[in-house]
Amino acid sequence: MGIKKPFLTNESLKAGYGIQAIPEGMDPDALLQSLTQEVSQKGFIVTQLDKVAAWAQSGSLWPMTFGLACCAIEMMQTAAPRYDLDRFGVMFRPSPRQADLMIVAGTLTNKMTAPLRKVYDQMAEPRYVISMGSCANGGGYYHYSYAVTRGCDRIVPVDIYVPGCPPTAEALLYAILQLQRKIIRERHYSRC
Amino acid sequence: MDTSNSLQDLGQFIAKEIGTDILRWSVVHGELMMTVEKGSISRILPYLRDSETLQFSQLMDVCGVDYLGRTPRFDVVYNLLSLVYNKRIRLKIEVEDGMSVPSVSAVYSSANWWEREVFDLYGIPFEDHPDLRRILTDYGFEGYPLRKDFPLTGYVEVRYDEEKQKVVYESVKLPQAFRTFDFNSPWEGMECAVQALEPKHTEDGREVSE
Amino acid sequence: METLEQESKKTQNFTINFGPQHPAAHGVLRLILELDGEVVERADPHIGLLHRGTEKLIEYKTYLQAIPYFDRLDYVSPMSQEHAFALAVEKLLGLEIPIRAKYIRVLFSEITRILNHLLNITTMAIDVGAMTPLLWGFEEREILMGFYERVSGARMHSAYFRPGGVQKDLPLGLAEDIRAFADRFPQVIDDIERLLTDNRIFKQRTVSIGVVNAEQAQDWGFSGPMLRASDVAWDLRRAQPYEVYDQMDFLIPVGKHGDCYDRYLVRMEEMRQSVRIIKQCLEQMPEGLVKVKNYKITTPPRAEMKTSMEALIHHFKLYTEGYHVPKGETYTAVEAPKGEFAVYLIADGSNQPYRCKIRGPSFAFLQAFDFMVKGHMLADVPSIIGSLDVVFGEIDR
Repeated sequence: MGIKKPFLTNESLKAGYGIQAIPEGMDPDALLQSLTQEVSQKGFIVTQLDKVAAWAQSGSLWPMTFGLACCAIEMMQTAAPRYDLDRFGVMFRPSPRQADLMIVAGTLTNKMTAPLRKVYDQMAEPRYVISMGSCANGGGYYHYSYAVTRGCDRIVPVDIYVPGCPPTAEALLYAILQLQRKIIRERHYSRC
Repeated sequence: MDTSNSLQDLGQFIAKEIGTDILRWSVVHGELMMTVEKGSISRILPYLRDSETLQFSQLMDVCGVDYLGRTPRFDVVYNLLSLVYNKRIRLKIEVEDGMSVPSVSAVYSSANWWEREVFDLYGIPFEDHPDLRRILTDYGFEGYPLRKDFPLTGYVEVRYDEEKQKVVYESVKLPQAFRTFDFNSPWEGMECAVQALEPKHTEDGREVSE
Repeated sequence: METLEQESKKTQNFTINFGPQHPAAHGVLRLILELDGEVVERADPHIGLLHRGTEKLIEYKTYLQAIPYFDRLDYVSPMSQEHAFALAVEKLLGLEIPIRAKYIRVLFSEITRILNHLLNITTMAIDVGAMTPLLWGFEEREILMGFYERVSGARMHSAYFRPGGVQKDLPLGLAEDIRAFADRFPQVIDDIERLLTDNRIFKQRTVSIGVVNAEQAQDWGFSGPMLRASDVAWDLRRAQPYEVYDQMDFLIPVGKHGDCYDRYLVRMEEMRQSVRIIKQCLEQMPEGLVKVKNYKITTPPRAEMKTSMEALIHHFKLYTEGYHVPKGETYTAVEAPKGEFAVYLIADGSNQPYRCKIRGPSFAFLQAFDFMVKGHMLADVPSIIGSLDVVFGEIDR
């Protein structure tokens, strides 16, 4: 789709591309601006690539096992045969370098914040975080304790919050599906 | 369930054997507990473990208790179990604030971490402990959390600082404070106010006006 | 000619961090391992990464509000912890709970035992390399968690055992479903056993690994299956029976060698015995109340609360102030699936516990880890951790 001619002609206008013709005698900057406008308005193929990439990403979310406390058991139950996560393309990876999702499942204590941030930094972009359970959302049952971080969003940016103590396996499954929809909705490669 | 009689006999037997190191003992709720001298704990426990008639071979628990306002302030409680005779005993020692306790990790290996935990949460040091350092609280934690004068929410909290690219500690800021309710009924809780309202009387019954 | 003197090479042990985020660490365990090649010279477990301050929080809550903290300690077998706390408070209050409540408690304690052993055996198997038992075991866990949900409303943290009995009676149909499960479950145990017990690879990875003899086990404060696998026949359900365990007919498996394989076998057999106890409970359970009828301690039924003034006041007082427990202290232990779980409760006459020390069995097991793993290779570390049955909610509290 390379535009070889550096200016528009009345013929192309008649062909119906819907682009404003530049009146003759205008300065080159305006010309350049109009060209870029044409590209982004004609960005049909980029959008489709975006959609394919987002669909592929959401269909193969690989979480990293970051089970801290009781919510980890419910996370394991979600991966178990009844609420099987594998059929959604979700495969638990032990290493952060191979994962693109981190499910913070359980209470985040002050001692554990440094490893959490370290592991998050080791994940490659694009990466997502699901905060599972009320302890990870905002301190939860242990909100007033001296040794608990009041929510993992103080340490890492969170995409989806799952309420519950612990959230049932079905709730976590719903959260992963919601994250898939969020990825499809929000992922735009041409803008990043 | 143990009958109190056999525990009473056991208590008397042990009190006779150990002698003056036992300050007091009792059998309550079917459990035998003894308060002993602090310095004698490292002699009493090997005796309890090795004696043929007692054989308290397992140290189940070492814990600390803070009685703020009482001297001595702390209690360290040892719970022992005899598998052979199916009996339990509780030994308590009373510790002043700042005093240290002889460690029993040479007698029972399991005392190692229990004593570390008491040190971490109460600040009671143990002499001759092989590895006395903090075990449960954070790496640079200051203070001894389970003391009664340590606030529930602590003094510091963490968050991640984007500019410094690391986790930082700041003082605690709670959006909603912990709500403690005073459950004393008004009739019981208002002693000082009631006294101020009532007129003072001298010894022979005349009222004195302020 | 010069003789070349050989330079003595100074080697240093290689210290690695078996980090807090690790699939085989069974939670948040930070192990600093000093290795001489592949052989572990010293292991230093760093715990406290899940220390949430439970004991301090309990001192600020009433006895009823403190019950859910116990669920969250050993979160793979939640009801056993509540059981210990409920027994401790009942001892201090001097309560005698109705017989039906005792049977329900024993029934759910054994269901909890099966839950715990299923998780432990299947995760140990997956750490060692066998993936299938996890999938089979977790489906059974789902069924059992369904029972939890039908009786209390929550799949895991049920807050069901309370001082005074249990919160609600078994709903209609649950007893038949549990009986159907108990009839079908031994087949599942057989299936898992067929995969693991005679498996050459599993045996090579667990036999003679982490051997602990009887004196060492007692010295390190072991209890439960860890102690029984080391040839010490001790079970609190037999030695110091509580609830209706003295009327139950069951066997206690005891291992001979004290290695990981024996612990696995002990837990497998305990699951079978738990099924026996469940069947006996269902047969012997009488009709009756499920909680003490003293409304100062247990909640009145909702229908009565909406019509009777006294019941309404009792309900209100119970959920705001709670009951006052007379001054006293107790150390109450139960045979939790992991070992002896005990609560040392000091009450000072008010509505809040003065001191509640939680004695979790996994704390003692992890302490002995350094002793157990000396001389073994790095690959044995996950086997030993798996057979130890540690859960960090209980260790760190």
